Amino acid sequence: MPLLNAQEAEEEYQDALVTLSFLEEDDSKIIRATARDMEGNPITDLELYFYVQRTFSLLPIGDFINFTDENGMVEVEFPGDLPGDKEGHVKIIVKLQDSDSYNDLTVERIKNWGIPTPVDQFEEKRSLWAAAANAPIALVLATSGMILAVWSIIGYIIFILFKISKLNKVNT
Amino acid sequence: MSKVLSKTDSEIFKSPREKDLLSHITSTSLKYKIWIAVLLVFVVFGLIGYYRQLKFGLVVTAMRDYTSWGIYISNFVFFVAISLVGSLFSSILKLNKNEWSRPLTRISEIIAVSAIICAAVIIIVDMGRPDRFFYVIRYLRIQSPIIWDVIIISTYLVISFLLLYISMLPDLGLCRDRLTSVPRWKKKLYRILALNWNDNPRQWKKLQKINKILAITVLPVAFAIHTITSWLFATTWRPGWDSTNLGPYFVSGAFMAGAAIIIVAMYFIREHMNLGRYITQGHFDKMSKLLVLLSLVYLYFNINEYLGPAFKMVGVEGEHITELFVGNYAPMYWLVQIGGLVLPIILLLFKPLRKPLPAFVISMLVLLGAWFKRFLIVIPSLQHPYLPIQGVDESYLHYNPTWEEWAITISSFAWFLLIITFLVKIFPVIPVKKEEAFIKSNSNSQSDNDEI
Repeated sequence: MPLLNAQEAEEEYQDALVTLSFLEEDDSKIIRATARDMEGNPITDLELYFYVQRTFSLLPIGDFINFTDENGMVEVEFPGDLPGDKEGHVKIIVKLQDSDSYNDLTVERIKNWGIPTPVDQFEEKRSLWAAAANAPIALVLATSGMILAVWSIIGYIIFILFKISKLNKVNT
Repeated sequence: MSKVLSKTDSEIFKSPREKDLLSHITSTSLKYKIWIAVLLVFVVFGLIGYYRQLKFGLVVTAMRDYTSWGIYISNFVFFVAISLVGSLFSSILKLNKNEWSRPLTRISEIIAVSAIICAAVIIIVDMGRPDRFFYVIRYLRIQSPIIWDVIIISTYLVISFLLLYISMLPDLGLCRDRLTSVPRWKKKLYRILALNWNDNPRQWKKLQKINKILAITVLPVAFAIHTITSWLFATTWRPGWDSTNLGPYFVSGAFMAGAAIIIVAMYFIREHMNLGRYITQGHFDKMSKLLVLLSLVYLYFNINEYLGPAFKMVGVEGEHITELFVGNYAPMYWLVQIGGLVLPIILLLFKPLRKPLPAFVISMLVLLGAWFKRFLIVIPSLQHPYLPIQGVDESYLHYNPTWEEWAITISSFAWFLLIITFLVKIFPVIPVKKEEAFIKSNSNSQSDNDEI
């Protein structure tokens, strides 16, 4: 099942097709990328780059250099200790970059091969460092109480001032 | 007052006290005009600096990534400190029935109003994008000490206005009734502000009641305003600020600075408004003694603040202490601690130095020390972060305020003095009417209120 994001073709470069398949054998998980040209012929000795998306950058996986064989295939083992989201989903990215003959290409797939990571409730809990909506109830009550108390007194004083303004002079 | 009133004065004012305390409103001297002109020059100078800051951004200041709070914030802390003086007189001394301090209450309230206005404005000046000020309200996070500060400053601003206004209400009625030869805008102002005040005993009773409520309310608010200001620092992880002592340390320092500024204001008002009969040498003597007491309390908190870290000299905290004691900031530090704190305490123990002029000079030393103390609290701490400073431009390592910052800061003082001058000029600076006397005299008969 091809998932291709072909770059804009330039005259001297050709488009390539890279398909990904995922194999699970015993304890190992294998990513297999197959590269073909537009006629469907396997592309040999094509360098592909394998990554896993992390929070801030792409984590390279596989060997230092990963070339396709005579069948246009290259296999990379997926590390068994990478954390994923709460269901173990990770984004696997395979890139064809800076080839002499083919346009750049990026193929992405999401697999649940990561270690499920429980969602950290840290930021969603009511705390001093949480978002405004998650302020600690005690703090909200204490500050609101104090503000209400002082401003009620201010309001009362303004009300008395209003009453003072309504009092007329004695004996007039 | 031994002076014989002229016929015109006698027609306007019903007693020498009224004449003494209200006549400055009706006449404007050349000295006053020159004073205003000088202040306006500084204001314009500051406006030019601020225009450049608005146009080019905070890059015109010397503030960078590490020293991100410069003299604007030092100045802000100073003004907040000064503003506490209102509560010292209107609450602490008043509730303790210190009769001698009564004539000084309004001066303290005027200074408090002016100081808290300047403190609030300085915070906006410190913002690179003042147009986004209302984001603070729009995206309010109640967990942030900055929000607590915004809330408490607004509250204290309103309370300070109320303190000044309520205690002045009977005098505003007097201004409305007596000052008939003033310009129309002033007449209108007195009429509106006087709120139909007519010396009705029920008005006095109500006024007394809310005066007492305010006197009690202002105390926790005043303590809160400066404690929360100290928490802006105490909740930030920097050497010198990571201290549980910071709240009382700030509050005690504020009361000391407040007492000093009252002595300075007393001196100017006494000298330039000929009010020696109302602001006596006795007032200077008592205020000086009060200043000694407040300075001793502040000295105690100073010892607490520095002794512990200086004894341990741990890591960056030790570097910070070294910088203050024997490093780049040592001359300023020792001048502030000795010249602005220890020396005034010693000098004011001697009676001859509690007379108006020496007390004024010593109070100026205290005030100067208080301003530079805020500088020492803010800047050296920022220059010693817990994480090492690496790979930054040389300018990030030092902080020397630019002319724009000095111009804006000096102009903030000009604004502070302008507001005080304006309020002193259009309102009686010493209460003309004494409420207790009025209530007493009215319990039996409806006597001539103006002779109280």
